[in-house]
Amino acid sequence: MAENFAGAKPKQLWLKFLSFAGPGSASTQAAGSKKRSVTVFVVLAVLLVAAMALYLYSRTWAKMLPIINLGIPVSPDAFSNILARAIPHLVAMVASAVVLAVVSLSFQTITQSRVLTPSMIGFDSVFVGTQTALVFIFGASHVLFANPLVNFLVSAGVMIAISFFMFGFILRSSRNNIVFLLMFGLVLSGIISSGTRYLQIIMNQSEFFQVQAATSVNINNISADLVWYVLPIMAVVVALTLMRHRKFNVMSLGPQQAKGLGLAYEKELNINLVLIAVGMSVATALIGSLTFLGLLAVNAARELLKTYKHMPLFICSAMVAAFALVAGQGVMELIRGAIPVTAIINLVGCSYIFYLILKENRV
Amino acid sequence: MIEVQNITQSYSRGKEILKDVSLTVREHEITALIGANGAGKSTLLSVMTNLVPAQSGQVLLHGQDIRKMKSSELAKQIAFLKQSQQLAIRITVNDLVEFGRFPHCGGRLGDEDKRKVAEALDYLNMGDMAGKYLDEISGGQRQRAFIAMILAQDTPYIFLDEPLNNLDIRYSVEMMKNVQRLVSELGKTVIVVLHDINFASAYADHIVAMQDGIIAKEGPPREVVTPQVLNPVFEHKFHIIDHDGKQVSLYYDHDEASSCKFCG
Repeated sequence: MAENFAGAKPKQLWLKFLSFAGPGSASTQAAGSKKRSVTVFVVLAVLLVAAMALYLYSRTWAKMLPIINLGIPVSPDAFSNILARAIPHLVAMVASAVVLAVVSLSFQTITQSRVLTPSMIGFDSVFVGTQTALVFIFGASHVLFANPLVNFLVSAGVMIAISFFMFGFILRSSRNNIVFLLMFGLVLSGIISSGTRYLQIIMNQSEFFQVQAATSVNINNISADLVWYVLPIMAVVVALTLMRHRKFNVMSLGPQQAKGLGLAYEKELNINLVLIAVGMSVATALIGSLTFLGLLAVNAARELLKTYKHMPLFICSAMVAAFALVAGQGVMELIRGAIPVTAIINLVGCSYIFYLILKENRV
Repeated sequence: MIEVQNITQSYSRGKEILKDVSLTVREHEITALIGANGAGKSTLLSVMTNLVPAQSGQVLLHGQDIRKMKSSELAKQIAFLKQSQQLAIRITVNDLVEFGRFPHCGGRLGDEDKRKVAEALDYLNMGDMAGKYLDEISGGQRQRAFIAMILAQDTPYIFLDEPLNNLDIRYSVEMMKNVQRLVSELGKTVIVVLHDINFASAYADHIVAMQDGIIAKEGPPREVVTPQVLNPVFEHKFHIIDHDGKQVSLYYDHDEASSCKFCG
């Protein structure tokens, strides 16, 4: 009997390691998942640093290689100029990725769904629509479109205004029905997209190309000044969201249970929707539309950590998002822009969604 | 002390679910709400816990309107277990019970909170199951884990909406016995929606029978579990027998009933 027990134990441990679901006391499981998350965070940190190094390398030193440069040496002045331009871009990418990941997780928690991101309710289409309308009405050389700061304020402002209208009006009239909000957002984004396409077809070709350039994710065109203005807003959004991590844990039990545990659910919902609207608008206006980045990052974090606790999930998804964007952009720079970074992220993101849908369907 | 005063509740289409309902909850007793589907039991429970705010009339907790109370304060007084406990997240029994401390600590568990969690788990005999995930244990055990969560919430009032749903006989009896212990040993006040009249008759101290949004009759089981009360409430013919001092209702269409199906 005793031998039997001893024989069974290693197998049990092994099973537990594989599935994370085996029998065991709470303390050993907590210790196991803690060890696992430490590993995950260390690996991610190393990857993130490597991605940043790759990006800076491909922006600067790689450009000095004789093959690319046709043997013309780069002066030290020009080199430090390039580096000074590359750093705000790196900051912009990391900051936007962090914001997108954080608001995507909070959006998934309040909608109780793993396959939704805030982009799906129309932030991207509103952004593209605003840019197109600006060019169509005022022309590409008008200050509203051509000045990066003014353009940012206008497009972020329009996105925030539309989402506040949606959240305020729709949620109030449908008594906080999130599904109705999602449907409304989906329809709205469809209408805006087709309107945008119509404008793009009838506008002249050079203006069309300008709109294309402004709306596709083009890191190298981000104004360095703008980055420093936007950074504080992003920091506030991220800080306010992360501060609520314990409330998110309770919200993930569902609205009724959360209310029963004394969470002012409607109030929290409204605060979070405001944070999501501001975060999404600011990040999209700064960097362009990255539909799948948030979804990819949040779900990767869930798979990696296997926890419901929001603090580690927030940090992990932010790191995954930053890594994906910076590494993707670094590779793109290295191959001199042959593939846009969104193409890589969307390809990976799309396949991952398929995988998730199939997996969720089975469970 | 919970007093329900003149609650009228309706959907947007104007159909009244509750019509001028008043009720004073009896302290340190089990009150069972019974009635046909759509009689307003669950709605009444939602209004009494402020899950749905009262539209007209008010619910007073120690003389204070619960709509005006802070939700975290209310959650220290009233615990509520809803009908289905489908969770979108995968958590262990221990995690779930720890959530019960949220109204007290905001999710930052101190020693006191951890002690309460351990006590709640022990009280419901779930100590050895604390590390198991909720999807690994049986429906009855899961229900017990949710009761442990409510116990950790440490409230004088406990509201249960059809806690016996999907439970087999053994777990249903176990659940009701646990609820009885909460009242007799810990002095809780429990309000429970039950579908099975016999469970209400056997375990409740007080029964409130609801019909079409009004309270048709309230009183001890002996007064409520009678054909005179139940027949109109459920629009069905009941046969009540006395067994060991408890009234047991038979509600299948036996011979006398079928000959008199519509006599109500």
